[in-house]
Amino acid sequence: MTEISLEALSPKREQPVPGEPENWRRFFSFSTDHKVIGIQYIVVAFVFFLIGGFLAMIIRGELITPEADLVDRTVYNALFTMHGTIMLFMWTFPVLNGLANYLVPLQIGARDMAFPRLNAVAFWMVPVFGVILMASFLVPGGPSQSGWWAYPPVSLQNPTGNLINGQFLWILAVALSGISSIMGAVNIVTTIIRMRAPGMTFFKMPVFCWAVMAAQTIQLFGLPALTAGAVMLLFDLSVGTSFFDPATGGDPVLYQHFFWFYSHPAVYVIILPVFGVFSELFPVYARKPLFGYKFVAVSSFVITGLSAIVWVHHMFASGTPGWMRMLFMASTMLISVPTGVKIFAWVATIWGGKIKLSTPMLFALGGLVNFLFAGITGIMLAAVPFDIHVNNTYFVVGHFHYVIYGAAVMGIYAAIYHWFPKMTGRMYYEGLGKLHFVLTFVGVNLNFLPMHPAGLMGMPRRVASYDPEFAYWNVLASLGGFLLGVSTLPFLLNMISSWILGEKAPANPWRAIGLEWLVSSPPPHENFAVIPTVVSEPYGYGKNEPLIASQMASTELTSELS
Amino acid sequence: MSSVNLDQSLNSAATVHAADHHEEGEHRLFGFIVFLLSESVIFLSFFVGYIVYKTSATDWLPAGVEGLEVREPFINTIVLVSSSFVIYIAERYLHKENLWGFRAFWLLTMAMGSFFLYGQAVEWMGLDFGFTDGLFGGTFYLLTGFHGLHVLTGVLLQGIMLGRSFIPGNYDDGEVGVAATSLFWHFVDVIWIILFILIYVWQ
Amino acid sequence: MNLRLILKLAAIAGVMTAISLWVGQLAYTWMPVPASEEALLVDHLFSFLTTLGTFIFLGVAGTLLYSVLFQRAAKYDEGDGPPIEGNLTLEIVWTAIPLVLVIWIAGYSYRIYDEMNILGPMEHMHGGAAIAAPLTLAQATDAPEAPEAPEIIEVHARQWVWEFYYPVANVTSTELHLPNHRRAKLTLTSEDVLHGFFVPAFRVKQDVIPGRSIDFEFTPIREGTYRLRDSQYSGTYFAAMQANVVVESPDDYQQWLTDVAALSPQPGLNPSYDEYQVKVENRDNRPGWKTVEPAPYPLVNYSGAPVLPER
Repeated sequence: MTEISLEALSPKREQPVPGEPENWRRFFSFSTDHKVIGIQYIVVAFVFFLIGGFLAMIIRGELITPEADLVDRTVYNALFTMHGTIMLFMWTFPVLNGLANYLVPLQIGARDMAFPRLNAVAFWMVPVFGVILMASFLVPGGPSQSGWWAYPPVSLQNPTGNLINGQFLWILAVALSGISSIMGAVNIVTTIIRMRAPGMTFFKMPVFCWAVMAAQTIQLFGLPALTAGAVMLLFDLSVGTSFFDPATGGDPVLYQHFFWFYSHPAVYVIILPVFGVFSELFPVYARKPLFGYKFVAVSSFVITGLSAIVWVHHMFASGTPGWMRMLFMASTMLISVPTGVKIFAWVATIWGGKIKLSTPMLFALGGLVNFLFAGITGIMLAAVPFDIHVNNTYFVVGHFHYVIYGAAVMGIYAAIYHWFPKMTGRMYYEGLGKLHFVLTFVGVNLNFLPMHPAGLMGMPRRVASYDPEFAYWNVLASLGGFLLGVSTLPFLLNMISSWILGEKAPANPWRAIGLEWLVSSPPPHENFAVIPTVVSEPYGYGKNEPLIASQMASTELTSELS
Repeated sequence: MSSVNLDQSLNSAATVHAADHHEEGEHRLFGFIVFLLSESVIFLSFFVGYIVYKTSATDWLPAGVEGLEVREPFINTIVLVSSSFVIYIAERYLHKENLWGFRAFWLLTMAMGSFFLYGQAVEWMGLDFGFTDGLFGGTFYLLTGFHGLHVLTGVLLQGIMLGRSFIPGNYDDGEVGVAATSLFWHFVDVIWIILFILIYVWQ
Repeated sequence: MNLRLILKLAAIAGVMTAISLWVGQLAYTWMPVPASEEALLVDHLFSFLTTLGTFIFLGVAGTLLYSVLFQRAAKYDEGDGPPIEGNLTLEIVWTAIPLVLVIWIAGYSYRIYDEMNILGPMEHMHGGAAIAAPLTLAQATDAPEAPEAPEIIEVHARQWVWEFYYPVANVTSTELHLPNHRRAKLTLTSEDVLHGFFVPAFRVKQDVIPGRSIDFEFTPIREGTYRLRDSQYSGTYFAAMQANVVVESPDDYQQWLTDVAALSPQPGLNPSYDEYQVKVENRDNRPGWKTVEPAPYPLVNYSGAPVLPER
């Protein structure tokens, strides 16, 4: 255990370090250690994932019968609004920020993020706006009931007349979430651009970091547009200005532009890091280098660029003139080119490898297949004439959940399993992991596949009641939804018991290549005693070349010590 | 991890610190520029909103409002834009390590910024339309108010930097805070020029 | 050896093509029975997209499945696979093929869209009056040579009821009647929030935007009763905002117009208001929050039957 002596010897740095590194209390403190903050993000986000999932199961409970017979319609509307808001702003963004926080400094060979204190502030805003969002259940009139798009004029209707209403708190929470995300984005982008270890040129950087940088760039140019729209909406709601209110000359469609200018790219903010995870995992578990590394790396930024010019495809059935429909149809379809490059590269990586179907690999493969399906329905949705039929139907809901749950959440699970030994220093239980995978994969497909036929038949989204012709598909979807609820139980059991009782993890249990696998599990405070000098591209599987300059000596020593 | 690294880390411990401090400053400036780029998109969004409203609204000006007076805002504009040059001179003085020169011109910048804010307040008081008076009233107060908030932030930041210049030896090595504040000020100026053209010139 | 591989690949591609074409045909049955000319076009496009999508899905997922089944590492095999880092030709090919594919799809979709010509919002920034005027004018001049030129039907959406107004016959209704095989011309307006005009059987949809009047066109081709649904979320009783659409022969349609014009106004169908009354009279005790009140029953000449169309 040389880490302990290293701890004692390493220089005292400026940032205060409350709590001992091995103390669980540090997770409840204002720690500035990127690894602590990373885990804080992931755990807090998961709590909200459970809350959002609970709301989803009430929704599926309501939809198991055609009539609106389980909850009041206002409650139903609040439920799907909060479900969407929580899952996006409280689960996917924070959990991915957590992964980025934990992994980026380790993968680029830095001791911490560029701005550790800003990092901590950005994280601690998450529980704050989470509480604000939850508190909206308690105000008169209940939480926002205008959907997570908060389209005016519905979002401006305020039947109770209270100044502090659910919609007000919703906008406040989303604005705070935006500020927190901007802080995170500035931090992550600065860290990746300025703090890479010597020798780590951009084309020696792991694809996860590429993808995270591409995603955070979207936050930087997209979020301000949403913020602008939200500020105007807030003034309309609380002061009575007329930006989006048609009754006083405003333009509700302009809000849709502001909203989707960010909120479509936001899906890439979510999926790009997951693409990064796929790109990290397939080489490890297929024992082959990532096929076409540079193509895969650069394609993330092509997606970032294109993501800025596709937003109107959410508004094909809205107040959108024909020329705009055609233009944005073309740009949207173009996105499939860089995405296709990635998918083909992963398939080629796996092809001819020596595949090990451990839990992270299963989740990554399942996520890839789900994403393939979602990508194909995505191109269908880009075709304007077809989109006009299925726009705002369950077809879109199904497509979206294949992306968000089928690909993103499964990719996040893959990442959590893969780096769990690194984060906690313990191994997880493979059997529970595989059970979790089976339940999740079956659950996703049972829940979200039936939404496609329901949508094709013309079932609108966001309905609390529907015509009996859709009942069959909804029963199936509800069963799948409950199965997804059950699927979190083996995961929770696995994570908690492994963290406490699991077998101690070696520094590199997967024989993976990457800077994070050169340090102990969990990594020592400040990660690297000496910043390594990178000498080769990542993913050198089967090439038997050193990754860093001093590796030959140190790998020998590591094997001796362990 | 490895005992080879142990003595290396001992050796590097001392040197790490000084280099880190300088690097950290540069990170901050870089991060600040990234932030400003992002912030500019908010203004861009507001500008786009303004242009869309102005070109599409059927009744743009509220009833009884003829348009905006340009003379006073123009004087205000001249003051704010020239303050960009003044703050640059202040920075030059700091580079030459002439602290009093720096403070004098820095204070002048603050005064010019405050004059701008005062002028803005006077203009707001004299207007016969409010925030809720149609799209014109809404966008006018939104844009000028949001920009004014930035000017106020700039002046406050300048105050902090001025105060910190009295800590002995604080600015010996150059100061990121001063550079960042000055950058922010230029940013606020450029935004105002666009804003002035959109609101006052294009009527 | 090489020939064998080529034959094998060709056989696989053949099977995949066959399956894709079959699924593409199946796709027609996933949609409601097409009841408009536009629906036929959309269904062709959907079938085409499904065929293409099935082929791609089978190709990629099949390759993955093969790898996962037959290229697993042996139990104690700790070795690495072949260190293949890429293949420039292959990478260029699989960048170029999707590019060509999407250009093809986009071109085909554009053609279909052009054929549909359902209008939707053109330059409607300045409210409905200016737009409506030239249209009625055109209709008036067309009238002599085309006696059956369709009249424009006004569709009014409000929270949460549809109301239809036939200006020439001066008829109001809460059930939309359309003559078969005639171009249906509608203007869509909303009195409060965004709504969406969506008839799944016609495959047409258009958001209804308050403060604008939007022209909308399509051609029904099959007699029967269909559902009109609100497709843009509009608040508490959004899901209840549905109405029946009756497509009948032009003669029956004319007959209906004359018959109905003679009827005196009566309260039309308004399920959301019915449901709200249950709430107000405390016959529904489930906890809920305060809602925007539904608009009262519209007074119409014809209310229609409160039954679901048969499938």
